[in-house]
Amino acid sequence: MPFNQKPHKFNAKINTVTIGSGDKTVAIGGNSTFPFYTFDAPTENTAKVGVEISDMGLEGVSEGIKAYYEGAATMAEIAKKAAAMEGAAFVALVLEGGDPNGENKSIDELIAVVKEVADAIDCPLVVEGCKNVEKDAELLPKVAEVLQGRNVLILSEKEENYKAIGAAAGLAYNQIVGAESAVDINLAKQLNVITTQLGVNAQKIVMNVGSACAGYGYEYVVSTMDRIKGAALSQNDNMLQMPIITPVASETWGVKEASASEADMPEWGPQDERGIDMEIMTAAADLAAGSDAVILRHPQSVATISKMIKALA
Amino acid sequence: MLLFDIVFNGNDTMYAEAVEAVNAAVAEYGEDMAVGFPETAYSLACFYAETGKKIETLRDAKEALTYIKSQMTRERRLDSGFKSGVATALSAELIEAMKYVGGKQPYEAPYLGHMTDAQIRELGVPLVTGDIPGIAVIINAAPTVEEACALVKSYQAQGNFVCLVGGIIEQLKEAGYKTGFNVRVFPIGENISSVAHAVSAACRTAMIFGNITPGDKAALQEYTFNRFRAFVNAFAPLDEKTVACGAGAIYYGFPVVTNDMDYTPSVPKSLIKQPKVEEFNATSLEARDIKIKITNVDIPVAFASAFEGEIIRRKDMRVEFDGSRVDCAELVQTCEPSEVEDHKITVIGPEVDDMPDGSKNSIVYLVKVAGKNMQSDFESVIERKFHNYINCIEGVYHTGQRDMQRIRISHDAFNAGFRIKHIGEVLYTQVKNEFDAVVDKCEVVIYTDPAECTRMRHEVAIPIFNKRDERLDNLTDESVDVYYSCILCQAFSPSHVCVVTPERLGLCGAVSWLDAKATNELDPAGPCQVITKERVIDENLGAYEDVDEAVQKYSQGALEHVTLYSIMQDPMTSCGCFECICGIEPFSNGVVIANREYAGMTPLGMTFSEMASMTGGGVQTPGFMGHGKHFIGSKKFMKAEGGIERIVWMPKELKDFVADRLNKTAKEMYGIENFTDMIGDETVAEDPETLVAFLTEKGHPALGLDPMM
Amino acid sequence: MALNGIQIFKLTPKKNCKECGCPTCMAFSMKVAQGAMKIEQCPHMSDEALASLSEATAPPMKTIKIGTGDGEFTLGGETVLFRHEKTFVSKTRYAVALCTCMDDAAVDAKLAEIPKVDYERIGERMYAELVYVNCSEGADAAKYTALVEKAAGVGRTLVLGCADPEIAKAALAVCKDSKPVLNGANASNYEAMNAVATEAGVVLGVTGKDINELYDTVAALEKLGNKNLVIDVTGADVKKTFANAVQVRRAALKDQDRTFGYPSIVNLVKLAKGDVHMQAALASLFTMKYGSIIVMEQMTYAEALPLYGLRQNLFTDPQKPMKVEPGIYPLNGADENSLVVTTVDFALTYFVVSGELERSGVPLNLVINDAGGLSVLTSWAAGKFTGNSISKFIIENVEPKVKCRKLLIPGKVAVLKGDLEAKLPGWEIIVGPREAVQLVKFLKDMQA
Repeated sequence: MPFNQKPHKFNAKINTVTIGSGDKTVAIGGNSTFPFYTFDAPTENTAKVGVEISDMGLEGVSEGIKAYYEGAATMAEIAKKAAAMEGAAFVALVLEGGDPNGENKSIDELIAVVKEVADAIDCPLVVEGCKNVEKDAELLPKVAEVLQGRNVLILSEKEENYKAIGAAAGLAYNQIVGAESAVDINLAKQLNVITTQLGVNAQKIVMNVGSACAGYGYEYVVSTMDRIKGAALSQNDNMLQMPIITPVASETWGVKEASASEADMPEWGPQDERGIDMEIMTAAADLAAGSDAVILRHPQSVATISKMIKALA
Repeated sequence: MLLFDIVFNGNDTMYAEAVEAVNAAVAEYGEDMAVGFPETAYSLACFYAETGKKIETLRDAKEALTYIKSQMTRERRLDSGFKSGVATALSAELIEAMKYVGGKQPYEAPYLGHMTDAQIRELGVPLVTGDIPGIAVIINAAPTVEEACALVKSYQAQGNFVCLVGGIIEQLKEAGYKTGFNVRVFPIGENISSVAHAVSAACRTAMIFGNITPGDKAALQEYTFNRFRAFVNAFAPLDEKTVACGAGAIYYGFPVVTNDMDYTPSVPKSLIKQPKVEEFNATSLEARDIKIKITNVDIPVAFASAFEGEIIRRKDMRVEFDGSRVDCAELVQTCEPSEVEDHKITVIGPEVDDMPDGSKNSIVYLVKVAGKNMQSDFESVIERKFHNYINCIEGVYHTGQRDMQRIRISHDAFNAGFRIKHIGEVLYTQVKNEFDAVVDKCEVVIYTDPAECTRMRHEVAIPIFNKRDERLDNLTDESVDVYYSCILCQAFSPSHVCVVTPERLGLCGAVSWLDAKATNELDPAGPCQVITKERVIDENLGAYEDVDEAVQKYSQGALEHVTLYSIMQDPMTSCGCFECICGIEPFSNGVVIANREYAGMTPLGMTFSEMASMTGGGVQTPGFMGHGKHFIGSKKFMKAEGGIERIVWMPKELKDFVADRLNKTAKEMYGIENFTDMIGDETVAEDPETLVAFLTEKGHPALGLDPMM
Repeated sequence: MALNGIQIFKLTPKKNCKECGCPTCMAFSMKVAQGAMKIEQCPHMSDEALASLSEATAPPMKTIKIGTGDGEFTLGGETVLFRHEKTFVSKTRYAVALCTCMDDAAVDAKLAEIPKVDYERIGERMYAELVYVNCSEGADAAKYTALVEKAAGVGRTLVLGCADPEIAKAALAVCKDSKPVLNGANASNYEAMNAVATEAGVVLGVTGKDINELYDTVAALEKLGNKNLVIDVTGADVKKTFANAVQVRRAALKDQDRTFGYPSIVNLVKLAKGDVHMQAALASLFTMKYGSIIVMEQMTYAEALPLYGLRQNLFTDPQKPMKVEPGIYPLNGADENSLVVTTVDFALTYFVVSGELERSGVPLNLVINDAGGLSVLTSWAAGKFTGNSISKFIIENVEPKVKCRKLLIPGKVAVLKGDLEAKLPGWEIIVGPREAVQLVKFLKDMQA
């Protein structure tokens, strides 16, 4: 008796969300299978890789990343190099300098960076806030305002500030709303429900369902994404059919395995290599679990992950 | 004159002025001349939103007049009145638009006229978030300059956006009051027609933030009604045009409050007569259901969860209140809105200053709440939070509840200025903040007068507590229309769904049907959702199509069927945080129950943790089920298999804990006295053979029942 | 369909003889239903009952054992496709590859490199458990056997990649006692390979040009009576390999097709030779999706740190959170005068809190006691993180070693403050922030 190959088809699919405007746009989501299950049904859109840059410039990034951006002195130049990275589909600007517990840059200062970056590149753009819910509630509406017409993805609104960011990004300035929740299917769903109740079009929401670095409670990420994809496809739950974007770099480069210098941990070997593999392996796992897009930092990671996506398509 | 006629007259006048203005403009510029307000993509937004047509030239404006005229029906019916109101607003918009033809800038400071799209977007976001709670449109001069300033200031202080039309603008100017978009006080124009700019703001908000398709009248009205929290304050005397504009405002859902007492009749929640200007603010907010966010608790000591665990020792204590020794009580009472004065805090009796150092005193606090969505079932849910609220005050300690609470106020808190009334302040703020979905108004009365406390405790509080207990006792699965799902535990146990019914509380023991109901009401998209029970499959098993559908949905398809009353057929799943677990004991025909605290062996040959490992994780395991302690005395406990008479063994501690309720239920259901004496425990047996011998000796009814499998 | 405990119980003798080791037949039945015991462990089961039960209770995927002693590993035995449905049971094992095509220097370098990565993380030893020894085309038995012997010297369990029965036989002659895997049966050699593997008593790996050939070869080997197999799902490229890995596992677990109910091998050297970063990406991908043995060119710290962390997370039981060992963890160069901070032993909480504490740069003694592996509020609610448990641990373990008498407790259990003050005389109890992310600022403000 030969092998009975049973494709598992679903009568539902993930929403397609297009980021960017003009000629250069990128579509994420749209698939009706678990990630890379091309044997069940054809893939509508492959997963996408974005390059993370920060308003803090190249402060604190690893040697390999510094080397790639060598010669880039301004945010505009950094953004251009990021956009030109092999395998990059979009650029993600993180406004981490806005954190009141960190640099606490003013909103005007950050908006100037946003404008500089946006003017320098024409590829699709994702803008991430500083993660402080109060500051983001002020900052991200302004970002949405100055980038009118660019159809950018704003990361992210959380339950605590969804009204301000959802209303500004999703209603007033017609951008894409990134809804971020803390590694729990029900929280993710609840945020989508209240965001759509606000009036935001479900087709203009992308989820960040929470992320972690491999080894750091990553099992919750896996199960949350597995369950969200399962519910979106098999239950046709339209409040979970938003595509998922996962900022990987911001999780992986901070852990000691990636950040400890070789001088401190000689047996661990070169820091850059550890950082790359931490980023690559976490991203590959995210994609296998259900991320429709990942945000990475190192050129080697971007190249490798986009190559892997291509090989699986 | 009837209100209808005033509206019609006002409408006619405004329309005539519009015709005149358009004709004058056509005469001056010709029909091809462009028409529009500066910096907007929405043309004449009121007309565009109402009709879906953009007025771009004077020719369009003329055609618009024809449309407006067609809306001016003259039947003395509400509909006709409203249409005329809208027609008045559209006429006013045309009048205003004509002022801008040819690139003119008709308004000069302090008058601002048209609002730009950028301003609308900037305004819209805080309006959606509630940071701008409401929009006040104030028309005409107030009786005095002082009252004008006080009213505007009262709105401004609450974060509201204020639009001004007519004489009040001159009054503020005279007083040197600062105005402008950035201070949220927006003087529009001198004439009543300029109110069109405020209507335009509402229409553009609806199109930008509500995704309202231009021309979809019903959706527009629904949006302005539900989401654009504007209201009108119009000072006497009102002319006919103003009244006609008011009809338009009411159509869009914006209530009008006026001190002009001549026009009759007043319309509840829509046209309200309020002779006192100082009451305009409260009257308006209530009419428009606007709730002001309270950001900080106004007390002289800190308020934070960090103080929750603070203990005030006797030597540090200034005074204490002790319900176990003297008359005390804490109570939430649902009242009519008219019976509650928001944020009023009254202390009846002595303050701390008048109490001897270290003394024991009486206290009763009565929190009166009112709200459209308030139900008396939520009273106990709110009350239960008092412990937490009062404990978060620095230097104040609280234990107990109902009429058995104990409160201590420390010397430090007293010296910092903390008094009894501040307890009221804390209760007010926290109740308003946390329960804003159900509490619209809140007033606190604190009694410290011993006689009053005795009266309040015995004549008010205790009868209410008794009534509540009675209601809880009488609350059966049959007596309610809906159950609730609870998925709070899904973080640990992905496919688990609790179905909470009055007689079967959540298996963690912490979520009762009332809790689930309140959670649902307070957080409609949250973990507790309504489950209907209309389509019965099998009443005895507690099987419902509705329940199955809900369980399927909330478990993301992992579960298909759940019965409420059987442990053998599709038993309810367990998350892992259950208080107890029961499992079938085949040799005695019954079930064994073990509680989490019990570490020993059960006659099943399994410990609590072994049993738990088989049933946790949202997996259905026939014959085993997790549940709360209180469920043991319920008449619904494994009702499908015969009920509580199947219970053959429990750890002693648990047996003692549930004895009263269980024996009562056994008496009612089977006429058995002291049922718990028949139930084995670890002192009697830890293996099935000894247990069966014990049960036989006691004549336990389970032995005579049908086999469970 | 799997039977539940009640259904199994009905078929037991109901004698409570305890000979199976369980106190009652009910307890035994529940364990069988869970897969924790086999039905055959009951000595009194009737043949009839056994026959009807063994098919029904047989797991959909076989559990295969390889290696011996410390090097013995269990593969397969999975019952679910997603960890949240129950749990994954057999960890992915990683093999570093050697090949007859490598020169001696390269082989020696690789063998010297393997033992370097060997460390512990939350109670688990992390190292490359396996060495894959590949016999490339043209190599003879002597050369291969020599390489196998050399590889065996590193003390790891071997996987022999060899499709020539004669060479395989020679190689097994020197290493079969350590129970290696022989990977190399295919559609044309399976009979001979089966004989070699069976004779040596080792697990046989099955390869095939596509999924159908794999299926047919496994079926043919089962027909020959060999059910001690692993399936090498490596296909022509990454896409086909992934499709094989998923479909083989899914057929076994979801469609109850037991022919594919075996663990898998994924050989990344074949898919991405020379590209260590691509191998890293794929190692992660196949750890997530159904690789039982993953073969890689290298396992340095760069690969090991993320990969073993990922595996440790993925294979935790969703019902049993990871716990860290109770103890005093000095951070940022803390000494006996440094502030004491406490939280629960739930691994996720520990990692998040210790990460933030490290970020603060403030020297601290992080004290962890047994809180049942639960999060702060859960363990508090369960009575496992209480004034009693914390104070007892502090008095017994911290007071003798640390001089500082300031204790920072999580903001979520601020309610413990008074109780702790009473139970820890001489200590100042400080209520910390509710969330770990606020710790850096909190500590900074405290210093100021």
